[in-house]
Amino acid sequence: MSVVIWDLDTDKVINRLKEGKRIDERAFDEYREIKLQKQISENADGSARVQLGETDIIAGVKFELGKPYPDTPEEGTMSVNSELLPLASPTFEFGPPSVESVELARVVDRGIRESKCMDFKSFCIREKELAYTANIDIYVVNYAGNLFDASAFAAIDALAETKLPKVEEDKLVAGEYSGKLKLSRKPILGTFAKISNNIVLDPNLAEEKAMNARFSVSTTEDEMLCAFQKGMGGSFTSAELSSMLDIALKKGKELRKLL
Amino acid sequence: MPRTIVTPGELITSERKKLGSNVHMHEGRIYSTCIGLVEEGTDFINVIPLEGRYRPMIDDLVVGIVTSERFGGYGTDINSYYPAYISRKEVDESLRPGSIISAKIAKVNEINEVELMNVRVFYGGEIISVSPVKVPRIMGRNNSMLELLKQGTNANILIGKNGRIWAKGGNTKLLEKAIAKIEREAHMENLTNKIADFLRAENKGAGAPISAANGKIPLEQTKHADSRSMEMSEGRDI
Amino acid sequence: MSKKKEVLEYVDKEGKRTDGRKADELRAIKIEAGVLPRADGSAYLEWGQNKVLAAVYGPREVIPKHHANPYKAIVRYAYRMASFSVPERKNPRPGRRELEISKVSGEALEKAIFLERFPNTAIDVFVEVLDSNAGTRIAALTAASVALADAGIPMRDMVSGVAIGKISGNLVLDLNKHEEDAPDAVDMPLAVLPNSEEIVLLQMDGLLKRSDWENAFELGMTGCKKVYELQKAALKKKYEIANGDEQK
Repeated sequence: MSVVIWDLDTDKVINRLKEGKRIDERAFDEYREIKLQKQISENADGSARVQLGETDIIAGVKFELGKPYPDTPEEGTMSVNSELLPLASPTFEFGPPSVESVELARVVDRGIRESKCMDFKSFCIREKELAYTANIDIYVVNYAGNLFDASAFAAIDALAETKLPKVEEDKLVAGEYSGKLKLSRKPILGTFAKISNNIVLDPNLAEEKAMNARFSVSTTEDEMLCAFQKGMGGSFTSAELSSMLDIALKKGKELRKLL
Repeated sequence: MPRTIVTPGELITSERKKLGSNVHMHEGRIYSTCIGLVEEGTDFINVIPLEGRYRPMIDDLVVGIVTSERFGGYGTDINSYYPAYISRKEVDESLRPGSIISAKIAKVNEINEVELMNVRVFYGGEIISVSPVKVPRIMGRNNSMLELLKQGTNANILIGKNGRIWAKGGNTKLLEKAIAKIEREAHMENLTNKIADFLRAENKGAGAPISAANGKIPLEQTKHADSRSMEMSEGRDI
Repeated sequence: MSKKKEVLEYVDKEGKRTDGRKADELRAIKIEAGVLPRADGSAYLEWGQNKVLAAVYGPREVIPKHHANPYKAIVRYAYRMASFSVPERKNPRPGRRELEISKVSGEALEKAIFLERFPNTAIDVFVEVLDSNAGTRIAALTAASVALADAGIPMRDMVSGVAIGKISGNLVLDLNKHEEDAPDAVDMPLAVLPNSEEIVLLQMDGLLKRSDWENAFELGMTGCKKVYELQKAALKKKYEIANGDEQK
C-alpha cells in the first residue's frame, strides 16, 4: 500500500520539476520557512527548537565530565546523538538507532566538529584526568524532509546559547554556570536532493521520497567547507558539485543571520 | 585466436552492432556488463560470462534438492534466487526434504519465481556442484564433452543447467577431477582434446583400463535422465 | 639536531611526502579476485598497510521478506573492522562509524549494478578489515567492487575510489595514518564510476577552501583511474593463472 502512495507522490514531484517547478512552488535554491525558538528547556545547558517547513527538531546540550582520550590528554570533546522519535513519523519505531539515525548524528557531528568552532582545549579541567564533554542530543519531533539541515541548525543554535556549568570538587554544579560556551565559527549545513536530473535545496518529504541522490555540505562564515556527505544510490557530476558548493555558501550566509 | 577477456564496464567496441547478451550500450558505445569472453560476429556482439548465478529459463533441465513441504507441493532449491515450486501433481511418489530430483522448468515469472514439471526422483549417486556459467562447456558442442566424460569415467551423468551435476556409478572421483579441470579452463581453446588426453592419461595411470562393465549400474534406472539431458542441452564450444 | 627540524613537514620542498611518495602517488595496491570458495564472488586487497577481505552473496532471497523491493534488488553492505585491526583492540560489535560507512558504501555500489533485473532479491556484500592504516573505507569499496564482478553480477561499470587529502596546504592523494592525524589535515574519500566519472561516494572531513574542489576532484580522478586499472587486471589475472598452469 505504501509503495503505491509513494509512487504517486514521486510522479507528481518529477512531473512538476519537468516544468521547472517544485511541488511547493519554491525556487530550486530556496529553503522552506524557518522558525527558531531558543532556550526551550530550563534544565539543558543550551537548547533550541527549529522548524523547517513542517520538519520540527529539538536540540539540547548537556555537559558531562570525563577522562580525556589518551591521544588528546589536554582536550575535552563533543558527541552528537539523534533520536528519530516514533511520534515524528509513522515510519519511525522504537528500538536500537536505525542506520538513518546514525548517519544523521554523524553528519551533524562532523559539520560542527570539523569546523573547529569549539576550542576543545578550553574543555580541559585537569590534563589527562578531567575534561568537559558536550553532549548534543537531537530529537526529531516531526519528520517532513531534510532532517540534516534542520538538525544541524538546531544544534548550532543550541550551542550558541550554551553555558558552561560550574565545576566544584570535580563535579558539575546543577544550575550554576561559569560562563558562555565560545564558538569561533557557526557552521551551517546545506543539503541538496537530486531528482531525475534536477537538483533542489532543502528537499521536503515528497522530494526526499523521489530523490535518487543526496549531498550535504557544511559551510562557515569564512567561506570554508568543513564536511561533505553524499548519500543514496544515485550519482553527481563534478560540475553539479561545484554549483551545489556555491549555493551552499550563499545560503549558509543567509541562514547564519537568523541565529 | 584467443578470445579477449573483458570486465564489467569495459569498452568492447564503438562500432554499431546488434547487442547480444551481457553487453549494454551507452552513448553509442558497447560495454560489457560482466567478466567474460567477447564473442564478436560481423553484426552482433556477445559476452560469454565467466561467473554468475543461475538465471532460470523456461524448458531448462535442472537438478534440485527438496527443501520444504508447501501447500499442495514442495519448495525446491535449484541454486537460483529463490526456491522453486513443485506441484504435487507433477510427482508420482511423495517427496521429502532432502530428496534429489531432476525437473524441467515449466514457468518463470517476471520476478524469477519458478515452477517445475516432469519431476524425476534420484536415489543414490552424488551431486557435483559447478558454476552455472560453465555448464555449456561441460556439455560441449553437441554434447561432445558429456559423451567424453561418460566414456572416460563409465559414470551415468545428468547435467542440470543450474550448475548441479548428478552422477552415479563408474569412476566418480575421476569425473570430479575432469569437471574441475573443465571449470578451471573453461575460457581456453581446444578444451575437448585436452580433456580427452587427461582422461586417457588418468585411466592409464590408474592401471585399470576402462571396461564396459566396470562399475556401471543398470541403465534402466537413469536412462530417462540421460536421454533428456542430451535433448535439452545445447553445449557451446567457446 | 636543532629545534627547528623537529617541526613536522608533511610535504618537503621537492614535493616528497614523509613516506617518500609524490603528491599524486598511491600507496602500493595488490588485489586478488576469487579468494573465498563458498562466496559467489570475493576479493582480497592490500592497500599500503590496509588489508581487506570482501565477499558477495546473491542475488538471493531477502530475509526478512518485508525488506525486499518489488522493483529491484537491494544492496546490503557490511563494513566491519576486525578487533585486532587497529592499534588498540576494537570491540568486535559494529560501532556507529561502521554503520555509516556501510550505508554510504552500499549506496555507492547501487548505480553500478543492474539492480532492476533482480526484483525482490538481495545482494549481500561483506567486507572485513583485517589491518588498517587510514583509507579503509575506500580499500573496502574497491575490494567489494571486484568481488561483485567476480560474482558475475551484471554491472554498468566498476566502482573505483581513492581518498584525496590536504596537508600543510598541499593537495595529495591517499593519506596514510600519519598524514591523516596532521592537525590541519583534510580527508576526502571519493568513489566514481570510472567511465562516466560520476561521483557515487563523497565524504569530507576538515577545512577546505571552496576553490580547492575542482583541483581536488581532478586529482582524485587520476587516482581512481589508476585503481580501476588494477581492479581490471586483478579480475583478468584469475583466468591468466589458469592459462599459465596449462602451459607448464
